[in-house]
Formats: sequence, structure tokens, C-alpha cells
Amino acid sequence: MLMIKRLMTQHMPGMLTCEEVDGFLYDFHEGNLSYLEKFTFKLHLSMCRECRDYVEGYVNAIRIYQAGFIKTNQSTKIPEDLMQAILKSRTSK
Amino acid sequence: MLKKKPSAILNQDKNKENELIERLIENKDLAYETLVRQYSVRMYTTARRFFYTDDDAQECLQKAFIQVFKNISSFKKNSQLSTWLHRITVNEALMMLRQKKRQNTTSLEVFSQRYNEYGERTVFADELGNNLEDTLSNNIEVLFEKSEAKLSLSEIIYQLPEKYCNVILLRDIQEMNTKETAEILAVSEASVKTQLHRARLLLRAILEQEDRASIESNWKVN
Ligand SMILES: [Zn+2]
Repeated sequence: MLMIKRLMTQHMPGMLTCEEVDGFLYDFHEGNLSYLEKFTFKLHLSMCRECRDYVEGYVNAIRIYQAGFIKTNQSTKIPEDLMQAILKSRTSK
Repeated sequence: MLKKKPSAILNQDKNKENELIERLIENKDLAYETLVRQYSVRMYTTARRFFYTDDDAQECLQKAFIQVFKNISSFKKNSQLSTWLHRITVNEALMMLRQKKRQNTTSLEVFSQRYNEYGERTVFADELGNNLEDTLSNNIEVLFEKSEAKLSLSEIIYQLPEKYCNVILLRDIQEMNTKETAEILAVSEASVKTQLHRARLLLRAILEQEDRASIESNWKVN
């Protein structure tokens, strides 16, 4: 299987190597790939399990830390004494 | 995301904002009270996304307002007040994070995904071929000043090399765009993209070493 993959990525025109997939990953995640780029990116993923796992790991990592940070850090109650302290800090210089 | 408002309302808001700024520059107490009451929730939301505890976020908010009071006279009338306040809050947060950072983790910047001559993925390692997994398991205390092997997500992000930590917080947590991020960090947009991609890859590799379930649950109790 590895040999077949190597043959295809090395010798078929328009085929991406795993390294080139990495080069496209950022823009893939941002939704910046052109139609053709996306096609070749997905074509590689369809025949390369390592890259599928790699891309999935990338997207998941972002999802995990975003969810953790944004969900838990969302309290917006500001205590009144802080408001007062802020206002006081203006004049007490 | 804010919904687009009809331009008449926008103008009205802008006029109100200009009026408020006028009165702030004239040093009217009531204007300051209005400013603090009207904008602090939004600024606090920004601050809260940088810090794990309410205390830190509150300290950040207070420091940001001190900067606002100091610099209000230099505020350019035609710019957006909320954007300016947001910028100040972000800068204060980054400054606080820099002061908190004690560990030097820049060494992690040399780790990246390696490929062989066929462009096939090999290891996540430094130039000498030391892979991240071994480095983390041998040096986790040194790198993260932590005795147990398990780290919480927040600790991991805070202890990343500063460049990486900043782009992750601004782009992925604050959800600011590349241009704004580049401006705040005083680097090029291209470098924001590169740093962010590297930071994410490093985080992905670190997360892979850790038990994800435990990281996610650690998050809540920490
Ligand atoms: Zn591949």
C-alpha cells in the first residue's frame, strides 16, 4: 500500500505529497483553497490514511482548545466595587 | 457578530459617541461614568477570554481603563471608540501575560513536522531528530514547571513560546482576523499565518501526547 501511494504521489501529475498537504492545511481550514486545490487536497486525503488522521487531529485540536477557552471563560458579571474602583482610579492620581 | 445597522442609526450612534468623547476630554465625571458602564462589559468579555480566573480578567479591565483615562485626549475622533477600547484591552492582556510567563519555552519553536525525501510524514522533531514525545516526557517539569505529567489546556497554551501563545489567543480565541492580529503584534500578516499554523501543529502534537479526555475535564476544575 505504501508503495502504491508513493508511486502515485511521486509520479501522477497534480498529485500532492503528504508534505504538500501540510502546506495546504492552513488555507484549507480557513476556507481559502480554490476549487482545484481543494480537489487535489481531498484526493490525497482519500488515499492517505495518515493525512486523514493528521488533518483530523489539526481540526480537532483547534476545536478542543477553542471550546475550552470560550465556553468556560464567558462570565461577564462585573462587580459593582470593581466599577467603583475603576472610576476612582481616574481621580486618585 | 454585530448585525449591520441602517446608516441613519449608525450616524446617530457616531454622533452620540463623538459627544461622549467631547465630554470625556472636557473631563466631565458623568461622561466617565457613562463610558465605564457602557463599555466595560464588552471589554471584560475580551479580557475574560485571555485569562483563566475572574481575578486576572478584572485586573486586566482595570489596567485597560487606566490606559483609557490616560490616553483619551489622543483618541482620534473619526476612529471607532469600541475598536480603540478593544485594542487597549488586548494590549493590556498581552502585557499581563508576558509578565506572568516565567518559563522559557522558545526551545519548542524548533520542533516541527518532519518529512522524508518522498514528502512522507515522519516524526515531529527538532533539527537533531529529538522527537517531541521524548522531549516532553523528559523535560515536562523543566518546560512547564509542573511535577505531574498531565497539564491543563490553559497551562499548555500559556506556556507555549510567546509568539505561539499570542497568535493562538488573538486568532483562535479572540477570533480576531489576520490583519488586526498582525497590527497588534507588529508583525506581517504572512508571519501571523506561519506562526499560527506552527502553533496549532505544536498544540496538536502536544495534545496527542496527553489524554484528551483528561485535558477536557481538567479544564473545568482548574
Ligand atoms: Zn498523505
